[in-house]
Amino acid sequence: MTAALTGSAAPAAVGAIVVTSKTWLWYLTRSTGLVALVLLTATMALGLLSGVRWEGPSWPRFVTGGLHRSMSALACAVVVVHIVTTLAAGFVPIYIQDAVLPFGSAYRPLWLGLGAASFDLMLVLIVTSLMRTRISYRAWRALHWTAYLCWPAAVVHGLGTGTDTPVRWVLLLTLACVAVIAGLLGWRLAYAWPR
Amino acid sequence: MAPVNRTDQLPRLLPGTAATLNLDEHLTRYGPLPLRPAGDLIAEVRAAGLTGRGGAAFPAGTKLAAVAAAAAAAARPRASHRRRTAAAAFIVANGVESEPGSGKDAVLLARSPHLVLDGIAVAARATGASRAWLCLPADKPRLAGQLREAIAARARAGASSVPVLVEAIPGGYLASQESALVSWLSGGSQQPSFVPPRPADQGVRGRPTLVQNAETLAHLALIARYGAAWFRTVGVPPEAGSALVTVTGAVPHPGVLETPLGTPLGTVLAQAGLHPAGGRRGTSQHGPARRPQAVLAGGYLGGWLAWPDAADVPVSAAGLRRAGAALGPGTLAVLPAAACGLAQTARILAWLAGQRAGQCGPCTHGLPALAEAFAQIAFARPHPDTLGWASQLTQLLPGRGACYLPDGGAGLAVSALRVFAKDLRWHAGHGPCPPAIRAAREAP
Amino acid sequence: MSDWLRVNPIACEAHGVCAELLPELITLDPWGYPIVAPGPVPPALASHARRAVAACPTLALLLHHEDGATS
Repeated sequence: MTAALTGSAAPAAVGAIVVTSKTWLWYLTRSTGLVALVLLTATMALGLLSGVRWEGPSWPRFVTGGLHRSMSALACAVVVVHIVTTLAAGFVPIYIQDAVLPFGSAYRPLWLGLGAASFDLMLVLIVTSLMRTRISYRAWRALHWTAYLCWPAAVVHGLGTGTDTPVRWVLLLTLACVAVIAGLLGWRLAYAWPR
Repeated sequence: MAPVNRTDQLPRLLPGTAATLNLDEHLTRYGPLPLRPAGDLIAEVRAAGLTGRGGAAFPAGTKLAAVAAAAAAAARPRASHRRRTAAAAFIVANGVESEPGSGKDAVLLARSPHLVLDGIAVAARATGASRAWLCLPADKPRLAGQLREAIAARARAGASSVPVLVEAIPGGYLASQESALVSWLSGGSQQPSFVPPRPADQGVRGRPTLVQNAETLAHLALIARYGAAWFRTVGVPPEAGSALVTVTGAVPHPGVLETPLGTPLGTVLAQAGLHPAGGRRGTSQHGPARRPQAVLAGGYLGGWLAWPDAADVPVSAAGLRRAGAALGPGTLAVLPAAACGLAQTARILAWLAGQRAGQCGPCTHGLPALAEAFAQIAFARPHPDTLGWASQLTQLLPGRGACYLPDGGAGLAVSALRVFAKDLRWHAGHGPCPPAIRAAREAP
Repeated sequence: MSDWLRVNPIACEAHGVCAELLPELITLDPWGYPIVAPGPVPPALASHARRAVAACPTLALLLHHEDGATS
């Protein structure tokens, strides 16, 4: 698999991966997965920043909220591409229902299931936020806390079933995302409970 | 005891003796309660111009009509998405009386319980309510027992129409606030909620609820019997009728009195034995004076009036408001000359700050800040900055909370700075006066 | 048709986004809570007011329309 990533000219003898006309889809799956990780982390980070009411000299607070919303839409779009390309590539035995019904797939049910669960939660977060004025604030807020399940599930999904996890820079990228969120989470908790 | 009807004499609400009127005595004094159609009742109350006696002075007829309309709307099949049960509306008789220094509701309920219970029955008929709660302070179990007795007596005599449950309400100052009380009865906390929706539209368990002070309900019972014209034979228009006031403090005969609305303050306090002219001579409150110096009208959320200057101020919602105070729950607390008005105000503000619900930012931060500033003014040597800050706070607080606590606290502070301006100058020059020092040592 | 701005003081958590988006009508007190200028929203600021209402993280800013509707 590493060989396939680095683009070496070795023939298809790495695991069961055969270089076919659908390889570009497989590359897209992996790359959108990483991009989605970064975008989801950014979304989560902006949400936490909103909670601590951070503002910078050229960064008013409304920017944090607006960017959080747009970033979440972008992240979701990238995740959809990630899912579609995985299904279209057909490199692994995953079917469309496995994208939304977690832990039922034949292929790595746990790691993949976490991805599906994360995607489900993403849909819930986005749909309820679009309906924010129509549901009670308390209900919206309670549901929005599932973000604290959605993001870790996505990260673990990436670590568990990510083709490129063994690659150093991918690992470092993942760790950096976790560190950013961990740091902001600490800040957020300190803001809420200053004792 | 002479019957009350067809007369413009007082007392109307209180029996004139210290004993409790039982049901027979009550009926002898007031006559039977007529069964009038809801529309008639509401029209009569509107014509009477009865306003709430709990503190907000909201027109009772308007509230009654609002609950009746909301109940009618809820009862229509297409309008209600809830399953239609018998409960279309509720009545909450508010006898919690959490204002320190107010005793009128307790006295009324103790002496004329059937008048309040009649009022509940009238209100239930007017709104189509199926159930009522009579709310009393939790620290008055004996009164609760008496009311339960009265309710049972009515049931035995076949005179009860709507089931009334006596409810003991715990808690502090905000416990008697309309939306806080509704929240508690719905099984929630005792915190005020944001209106709209008002309890008249969505109250206890989401049903239209009439929350009315016990005294207001007593007036309602009389209007149902004798009509709006009778009600308006006392009082100074546009505020008609009589009201119960609680007079406390530096008066020879403190207690609960009934007075026509619009009566000059001096006349009301004279009933408690206080006379503006005559009496003992005195100079300023920091000299060897004997005369009372000020009256706190409207409770802790009301305002100070200088005495005897304010003897002509009419005791009515509008009259007292114009003078910088309030009618509120009808408390008139007379400040003796030997006390310091600034110190008293500081203590009241500190107490009010401790009673806040902590839900609304401006009050959560601003009321303790105002109390702190006033403590500096009263018990230390006020700096011009402190006075400026206190003034700024009195403008930052009104209208920015879910209940009247920040508004009232600010109003009290403003009236104190005006009425005790001379003391303020003295404090600025010399620090706290001897009465203030004494007050600082007393337990809160 | 005039609109009126109102803050639900219980819901408000002093994020201050409203004051950023509608500084003509909303200022912040010393603790970061909004002070809304009295009176109806001028028609020129109506779209900004709607944006501020939508941007409030706790939906504490409300717009009452004259016909009784609220956003």
